[in-house]
Amino acid sequence: MTQMATTYSSGTFKEDDRALAKIFAGYSISAAAWLLFATFVGIVLAYKFGAPEFGSGAWLTFGRLRPIHTNATFYGFASIALVGLAYYVAVRSCRTAIYSTRLAWLGLALFNVAAIAGTIALDLGYSAGDLEYREWPWPIRVIFLAALLVTAWNLVATVARRSTEDIYLSNWYMMGGVLWTCIIAVVAILPWYQYGLGQVAVSGFYMHNAVGMWFTPLALGTFYYALPRLLNRPIYSYALGVFAFWTNLVFYPIIGSHHFLFSPLPWWLQTTAIVFSVAMLVPVLGGSANFLLTIRGHFGQMRESYPLAFIFVGVVGYLVGSTQGTFEAFRSLQAVWHLTNFTVGHSHLTMYGFVTFAIWGGTYALLPAATGKYPAQAGLALHFWMALVGSFIYVVSLSIGGTIQGMDWVNQLPFIQSVVDMQPFYVWRGVGGLLMFLSHFVYAWNVWRMTYGSSAKTVPQGSSQIVEDVT
Amino acid sequence: MDHHMTGPLLGNLVIIAICGAITVACFVTMFWMLFRPGETDLHHPKYDILRDDR
Repeated sequence: MTQMATTYSSGTFKEDDRALAKIFAGYSISAAAWLLFATFVGIVLAYKFGAPEFGSGAWLTFGRLRPIHTNATFYGFASIALVGLAYYVAVRSCRTAIYSTRLAWLGLALFNVAAIAGTIALDLGYSAGDLEYREWPWPIRVIFLAALLVTAWNLVATVARRSTEDIYLSNWYMMGGVLWTCIIAVVAILPWYQYGLGQVAVSGFYMHNAVGMWFTPLALGTFYYALPRLLNRPIYSYALGVFAFWTNLVFYPIIGSHHFLFSPLPWWLQTTAIVFSVAMLVPVLGGSANFLLTIRGHFGQMRESYPLAFIFVGVVGYLVGSTQGTFEAFRSLQAVWHLTNFTVGHSHLTMYGFVTFAIWGGTYALLPAATGKYPAQAGLALHFWMALVGSFIYVVSLSIGGTIQGMDWVNQLPFIQSVVDMQPFYVWRGVGGLLMFLSHFVYAWNVWRMTYGSSAKTVPQGSSQIVEDVT
Repeated sequence: MDHHMTGPLLGNLVIIAICGAITVACFVTMFWMLFRPGETDLHHPKYDILRDDR
């Protein structure tokens, strides 16, 4: 009887593992497709800076393509990729099966329907254009909210049926991120916040929290699971990870108002946003130090383990990008950088240098463990170096150019002078962007090899510690 | 750079003092945890995820 139970149990585990692998693969493939599309639009946008007359049709105007690029990146690529990672981490760290595979597939369908409908609507000119990162018409944002609710339900229910005594740290971040985003997505739809100063306040609340309370916690949750598994050593300080979670939750929600300094928003709200932007250094410095001290003594492994290298760049991107955000919140510096290309460089440092590298590191570390298939070492190397060099050129050029642009405005030079001064930096932005875009083809190819394509014949070094046989 | 929309100086100082005190306390806690991580018990959940998932 016991033997039968063991056999049955083992078979059920295999079945659950296969279902989880399919879900993780589905989310990763979908995310890769959205990344290719979103960054293709980004390349067109970068080209239009040098050739503004290119694409004269209304559907190719900057005002339509820009929100398509940002929303497809946020809600097509990053959201879908991170939810796929969250399901895998929740199931593995809780030693259980996913609560509902149907809900997971339904969530993926809803995310995609929202992103496709949102893209079409924006290109047809149906845009809530003054609401950054929520330009999709509100009925489409309700579909996105439905995807979030389905995901939250499934993720929390999966953790609730865990066989472990404790809820591992990663799940705190991932459940917290999904539940918090349900709240901000609801607030973003409420009609009485869609006009006047209330709209401004909610804009700051939504667009900043869409990054810091959605992508950040899910990316950090990925770090807290993938890093110990890759290195086969525990996180340096678990308690500091919990402390960073709570300080992020206390300090972050209010600081979006620092995007509207010198505006008619109440001065106390602006000042509180600035001070808590400084307080955000606590979870950022503490969290980054926690990851780096976990890697300490094993930095040499990055020469062979590209998943680790992706995660390391993600940690550095988190540290530098978030610290930069604190400095940008100061009134004296914002007076120079606000509305310049420096902000574009900052958003790419955080969303690309941090979140996207975290997604790639997590995917390369964990997807092969789920499917038993690997990308080639050369594919990992090509992706890593093109993305790293491209994003470095992109961020540095826009940071320098944006500062010059801001100084031109502070010195009250003619506006056209700032356009002329930006020209070489727009070229470098295009060069960096092209490298980043090309690297995404390699990423898509790697994802295919890790899922339904042919696996690499030799297992890339640094991946073997977390292999699980699901065949 | 002074601006007429930065609000009264006293009000700003009060906010900076209160929020700043919370921030400093959190910084002290963060460094205390960094320098004294502890967690040497092998039954701690941070070791648990390194074992087999099944």
